[in-house]
Amino acid sequence: MKTILNLIKKDVVRFLKDTPALILTFVVPAVLIIIFGNIFGGGNDSRGKPEIILVNESNSPAAEFLEEKLDSSDLLQTVKVYHQDGKEIPFTEESAKEFVSKGKITAAVVLPEDFLSDTSSGMKIKFYYDPKNEIESNLIQGGIQKTIFSEMPAIMPYLMQRQMSNLLGSDSGKIFNKKMADLIGESFGFNPDSVFKSMTQIDLNQLQNDSTAAGADFMNNLINIESEQLVGKEIKSPGVTRIVGGWAMMFLLFTLTGASISIFEEKQEGSLRRLLFMPITRSQILWSKYLYSILLGIVQLLVMFFISWVVFDVDIFSNFFNLFVVIVASAFAAVAFGMLITAMSKTIQQANGLATLIVLVMSAVGGSWFPVSLFPNWIQVISKFTITYWSVEAFLDVLWRRASLVDILPNLGVLLATAVVINYIALYLFKKRSVV
Amino acid sequence: MIEIKNVSKKFENTEALKGVSLKVEKGEFFGLLGPNGAGKTTLMNIIVGYLKPDEGKVFIDGTEMKSDDVSLREKIGYVPQDIGLYQELTAMQNLKIFGSFYNHTKKELNERIEQALELVQLNDRRKDVVKEFSGGMKRRLNIAASLLHDPEIILCDEPTVGVDPQSRNAIFEMLQKLNADGKTLIYTTHYMEEAERLCNRMAIIDYGKIIAGGTLSELIDLLHTRETLKIRKTKETEALLGEIKKLGVFSEHDFYFEIRPNENYDVYSKLFADLETIGLDSKFVEISRASLEDVFLYLTGRSLRD
Repeated sequence: MKTILNLIKKDVVRFLKDTPALILTFVVPAVLIIIFGNIFGGGNDSRGKPEIILVNESNSPAAEFLEEKLDSSDLLQTVKVYHQDGKEIPFTEESAKEFVSKGKITAAVVLPEDFLSDTSSGMKIKFYYDPKNEIESNLIQGGIQKTIFSEMPAIMPYLMQRQMSNLLGSDSGKIFNKKMADLIGESFGFNPDSVFKSMTQIDLNQLQNDSTAAGADFMNNLINIESEQLVGKEIKSPGVTRIVGGWAMMFLLFTLTGASISIFEEKQEGSLRRLLFMPITRSQILWSKYLYSILLGIVQLLVMFFISWVVFDVDIFSNFFNLFVVIVASAFAAVAFGMLITAMSKTIQQANGLATLIVLVMSAVGGSWFPVSLFPNWIQVISKFTITYWSVEAFLDVLWRRASLVDILPNLGVLLATAVVINYIALYLFKKRSVV
Repeated sequence: MIEIKNVSKKFENTEALKGVSLKVEKGEFFGLLGPNGAGKTTLMNIIVGYLKPDEGKVFIDGTEMKSDDVSLREKIGYVPQDIGLYQELTAMQNLKIFGSFYNHTKKELNERIEQALELVQLNDRRKDVVKEFSGGMKRRLNIAASLLHDPEIILCDEPTVGVDPQSRNAIFEMLQKLNADGKTLIYTTHYMEEAERLCNRMAIIDYGKIIAGGTLSELIDLLHTRETLKIRKTKETEALLGEIKKLGVFSEHDFYFEIRPNENYDVYSKLFADLETIGLDSKFVEISRASLEDVFLYLTGRSLRD
């Protein structure tokens, strides 16, 4: 038994000395649990609510009422103005559509002038959306429906009154019902007032939950939502098109950090020293490693997108130039990041542990796995400090909405600027710490 | 040809080299001897420009070697102590990669590779991956990779570490052939027998300082005698220990006593007469010529492998 205990002690001592193993065993899972917990609602911080543009062009009190309810919704965050030249400009239907089309926001709800028309018994709502993030898009649609239907009882009497007047003329319904109630009360001995009351009250809850066609028709007559998908209608494989950029970016990071870290392998096997005994400078070695990694990253991303085209018919060619530009910028940023990890580490084990931790966290936080808009606000802020975020958004823009070079310039700018800054820090550390 | 002037190098709290000065002439086979940690590899790394000395300078053919100017490295072939090869590649692929960093045409490089493979006797293994090689084969390929540009100077940093005797002999023969072809070699080792066999001239380095230098004969002359007596430990010899100690510098080992006689015996009959005088039977005595090991022991008071 003593031997076994000593053997266990030996394993514990070795494990505690192994920093990468400690990171992979405790830190990586802990960080991922925190991130996933927050995404799926386990965190204490408020979950980020998806934003929608709300335009109310109607003068109807019912529209005003619905606007108030959408404003105070727990599920959605309404936006009503945008800023241009330092001015606050209220959204119109056209500007709202433009914002959705350009991917600046996922959806817009318009309560049009004819929200309640003279000829219609129900209300009319326009819904414009961009399902580039399917989960977010579904959440928004669900949030709007829930808000409308939960507030229906309050609006319903007004709508019902209008329906009655449309069918029976002004006030005729009431007279008819009153006379019928009096007749039923007299014939069957009921209180005519009670009969009248029950005739004019409809069980709204029952109607809402009515799964029959009649119930659905009734509700559809009351609420007419005109939905229009503004972006991505022509995309053949929307599901794969949405995710391919995120996954490609994650694997790119793994590959390129690995390629940079290979400096340690060459150091360990002695081949790096041999190169330095030859007419080769340290900076030539670093530059070659950098350029090789970028080339590898570009080829890897091209292959991944090519496979998505072959297998899932993802359209990579109609906006290929811009896709290629994003691929190059992403590769630059990812390689710089790999070089930084290498420069910060003392051993290959340390570099591998650090790379695994940072790549997984960046992928989770930056939107490789889930749309960033689903995260709590504080994670959404952090996500903007990851290269994954800017890269994934740019991939989605070029593949989903065929974004132009101008549209993706901010993303390219962030990726390339990050690459320059990180490279500068990495080079400084390489020199200071004599990694090569 | 190679001149090292007052070179010093410090790593954190360790002074690896303390004012080392040496001169190695063209065509010499020069040995740098010393125990592990003496500073041999540091000095070699400074000669090739891999490390920058804190003080002092190195000149190759009169031109100062600078770590940021790699052009002088064209003249040097460095055989590192560690196997600096890509293990997952074949011998041929390794040689092509390392040879590509010099100004060869494709044809010249192929010729150089053929010559190098022939020299290290690995022609028939050129297509095999290095990780499948034995230790000796890896060492030989390690040398070949340093000779592809036909360097004038070859720096060998303990190239026989962990090598079986057969491969070691093959390496020795190869290096001697290179020297015979006019190459200048600097060879570091802590095996004195290697230095004795290979080097025309040598320097002994210890704790970062050159403590002696010269030809083998000149170094052994530092000892006042050229012979060492090894006297087997037995009841009889132990009984005579007091008398034995008077013969010279005494040291005791596991199975024998060692004496470096006070007197230089040019004629062994005199030695045997002295042994007889103290009653020591010559069957217990083995006489050996003094070696570099003895020189090192004499100079430092320590064995080379301590």
